[in-house]
Amino acid sequence: MTWPPAWWRRLRAVWQRDAFERGVAEEMQFHLDQQTEKNIRLGMAPEEARRHARLAFGGHDQVREESREAHGGIFLDTLNQDVRYGLRLLRNTPGFTAIAVLTLALGIGATTTTFSVVSGLFLRVPAVRSPNDLVVVSSTAPTNRSGANRSPVSAADYLDWRAQASRFEGLVAADFDELTLSGPATPEPVSGARVSSDFLHVLGVQPILGRVILPGDERPDADRVAVLSEDLWRGTFDGDRHVLGRPIKINGTPYVVAGVIPENFLPWDFDAQVWIPLDFSRDDKGEMGPDRRGVRLLRVVGRLKRGTSASQADAQVKTIAQRIAQAHSDTNQGWGASVVSLHEFSVADSSAKAALTVLMAAVGFVLLIACANLAGLLLARHSRRRREFSLRAALGAGRWRLGRQLLTECLLLALAGGALGTLLAIGGVRAVTAQFNWSASAIAIGKAIVIDGGVLAFTAIISILAAVTFGIAPAFHSSRTAPAENLKDLGRGTTVGRGGLRLQRLLVIGQLALSLILLMGAGLLVDAFIQEMRQTGGFNPSNLLTASVSLRGLPYEGAPPRQAAFFSRALGLVEGIPQVEAAALASALPFQFPGPVHYAIEGNPVPKVADQLSCGDISVSPGYFATMGIPLLQGREFGSSDTAETAPVAIVDQAFATKHFPRAGAVGRRILIRSDQPARRHWSEIVGVVGNVNEFLGEAQPRAHIFEPFLAEPAGTMTFAIRTLTEPGTVSSALRRAIETVDPDQALSLKTMAQVVADSGQGDSLLTALMSTFALIAVVLAAIGIYGVLAALGAQRTQEIGIRMALGARRFQVLQIMMRRGLLLIGVGLAIGLVGSLMLPRLFHSAFYGLVFNGPLDLTIAALTVFGIAAGACWIPAHRAMQVDPMVALRHD
Amino acid sequence: MAQSRDAGPDHERTDVLQGTLDMLVLRAIQLEPMHGWGITERIEQWSGQVLQVGQGTLYPALYRLERQGLIDSTWRVTENNRRARYYALTPAGRRQLARETRSWERRSRAINQVLAASLRAEETP
Repeated sequence: MTWPPAWWRRLRAVWQRDAFERGVAEEMQFHLDQQTEKNIRLGMAPEEARRHARLAFGGHDQVREESREAHGGIFLDTLNQDVRYGLRLLRNTPGFTAIAVLTLALGIGATTTTFSVVSGLFLRVPAVRSPNDLVVVSSTAPTNRSGANRSPVSAADYLDWRAQASRFEGLVAADFDELTLSGPATPEPVSGARVSSDFLHVLGVQPILGRVILPGDERPDADRVAVLSEDLWRGTFDGDRHVLGRPIKINGTPYVVAGVIPENFLPWDFDAQVWIPLDFSRDDKGEMGPDRRGVRLLRVVGRLKRGTSASQADAQVKTIAQRIAQAHSDTNQGWGASVVSLHEFSVADSSAKAALTVLMAAVGFVLLIACANLAGLLLARHSRRRREFSLRAALGAGRWRLGRQLLTECLLLALAGGALGTLLAIGGVRAVTAQFNWSASAIAIGKAIVIDGGVLAFTAIISILAAVTFGIAPAFHSSRTAPAENLKDLGRGTTVGRGGLRLQRLLVIGQLALSLILLMGAGLLVDAFIQEMRQTGGFNPSNLLTASVSLRGLPYEGAPPRQAAFFSRALGLVEGIPQVEAAALASALPFQFPGPVHYAIEGNPVPKVADQLSCGDISVSPGYFATMGIPLLQGREFGSSDTAETAPVAIVDQAFATKHFPRAGAVGRRILIRSDQPARRHWSEIVGVVGNVNEFLGEAQPRAHIFEPFLAEPAGTMTFAIRTLTEPGTVSSALRRAIETVDPDQALSLKTMAQVVADSGQGDSLLTALMSTFALIAVVLAAIGIYGVLAALGAQRTQEIGIRMALGARRFQVLQIMMRRGLLLIGVGLAIGLVGSLMLPRLFHSAFYGLVFNGPLDLTIAALTVFGIAAGACWIPAHRAMQVDPMVALRHD
Repeated sequence: MAQSRDAGPDHERTDVLQGTLDMLVLRAIQLEPMHGWGITERIEQWSGQVLQVGQGTLYPALYRLERQGLIDSTWRVTENNRRARYYALTPAGRRQLARETRSWERRSRAINQVLAASLRAEETP
């Protein structure tokens, strides 16, 4: 190998080009001089000698050109030329450049945003030791409801599995629940987990500070230790490095901080901010005892032994579960178990998957439309540049060289579009994460959505692919043309780029069809959402603040009278706040999902537990229905005299009354509430019937509900519904003071009723917002596309139009001709889009359970919208064509 | 690049055979570094004025060989006190020359044998 190496020489040649050229010139001159001298020596006259030498030498420039090429650096040199020429061209056509870059940026921005959501939620690798060996072990319920095969596990079942299963290196469990944290600040609700003491150890979580929970920490004689998530540590504890050993209170019980661990180390189904050990033999709430096999609260994670597959573990756990079901038929009849990988467990979540599939399809459409636009723009541009390219080809430019020039321009566009698209995506991701706010764990999920290296790589690949694939077609199209033919054609100024325009028309039809489908999809979702909001007419959501309190601490555990006392006192104080018009309590508000209760109707036989009727069960305070604005249809509301001591009463909603007492009135009839629990069941008299309440967005047939007086049946978690005279936010501090007065250890979580409604849809509003944005982008891009085609058509036919007008065609006829072209394209596009849209309602119906989709109306609106925008985009060039001056047009080359 | 020059009628001049120019250039500078003009002169001289190198092909060839790392160039002063670029063989060039020479000898021997055979064939009848 010689030094310097060839590549270095080549590179150096680029910036030493001038020096090299001077060298060549000098060398040529030297050669000429030598030849001249020789000729003189051979006897020629000096003048003749010089002439002969020059003749012998040949074309000076040609030699120089060939030398330059042979010398190398030629590729980089022409690349430099291509780039500079490309940049100059793009600068000279700012309109084209802006539209092309913006088109690409919109497509890429939308795609990148969606991809970062997908990557953040589904492609994330858990930050634990060998995550591929982790499996989730669930109970499988006897019913075939969706999600029945991933039910939580009871402590008794878990302990039996752990004792008998041999396929696991470790089998750990956690009870994820909201906890109340006090100590660093006023009590606040945090997401928490009570875990088997080996949980963090078996997963292999590395602490940031201190240590994780270890076996032994759960023993009664050990100190009560808690581990914080990094997020909570940085927030509530200000990232204090001396936090270890600090005393805190969790649910009123004192703990000591032992360590800080990273958050989100597991998929978001398993997220918590505070981790404390769980002692199965000494459980405060009595939920974990061997006699509570029917209380299924735990999430169980297993680490497979080396060389064991998930299916082997699955078979073993199933066998064990079968044995347990036989031994404990009262609680476990029909219950089994299943083992799935951690990834499958978190990704196979059906509703999120459906939403993301729809989003991915939508964003794919947007990208396709954007690319089609880019291809259309480039095609139009190339047909305008055919003369330039033909000329260059005629002057000897190679086909490869011309193709490379076009490719360079496409890559420049891709670079600009990708950069701008990334900026858009940064904004998009920020907007998306802001939507993940309905709970602490949702906020944690939102934090996982970031634009990282993987996402950027994806964006780069998408931009380059988009630009190159859609740029190269026009490039080939124009490089195939025979220069002579084109120059002749162009001289006459007719039939410019027929083939190109045909392709462009196909692209526009495709764009229109796709954007109609998108708009239709967005319309269906938005409509379902709005419809649902309208259905909240059952109550009045304005100026309604909600404040939820989960009673924590030993004094309240299993002590309903104390719970009732706390809430009555608090309610009294809240009602005394000046800005409060009315206040009441409920264990579940509309759009919150109340727990089920078994019941029987008086006069009908009480069947076996498995066959008993069940409906939603809500405890409410006196005045709840008046406060919420829920109509009282018959009878009366509860009064303060309806307590545990007086005769049991109940209120039912219309759905319940219609179901069981369709003819006679419900008031005065008696129902057996909690018919499955002999110790707690009692006959209650129905004293009132109220309007229906919804439990989730888009609920078509409201579920039946029974309401009970909260003084008789209090709950540990109740929500204040507060109708305010002023803006709801103004009472929040007075509200906190009221709760604090009654018990300083209790935390309060505030939301407006509008938020509660939105939260019951959780991701739905986000999905709706994203779909609408995508649809809007799609329609705008399609409009740009059709505008481009018609503008090109108009420019191309200027001469023809001029002739027609010179021969007596009226302006209106010209407009007609142009519009007919445009409308034909729109018609074909919409027809294809309509056919595609027809399957949407059915598709959505299966994907988003419970939402009502109003097909025909939405479809009509979507089609009219696309038609209107597209026709508007046609009007501009058509109108311009109408203004053509025949004289100018005929002279037009 | 055929250049007709004044030459005697008994001299049949010919361009350098395609593909052999590189070898001839390398051979010309095998003994000592030379400038472009010197190389054309030496090839003409060694070939008994039969082979002539067109300048239009010589310089591109020189730059190409330099790019390939087979030759190296330096600016030096000639006996007549003029600046000129001198080309010298690099070790890689030396190896390349040996390779090309061997392959040329093999080919020309083969061609000669073919020609000799056909001549004999003409004589036979």
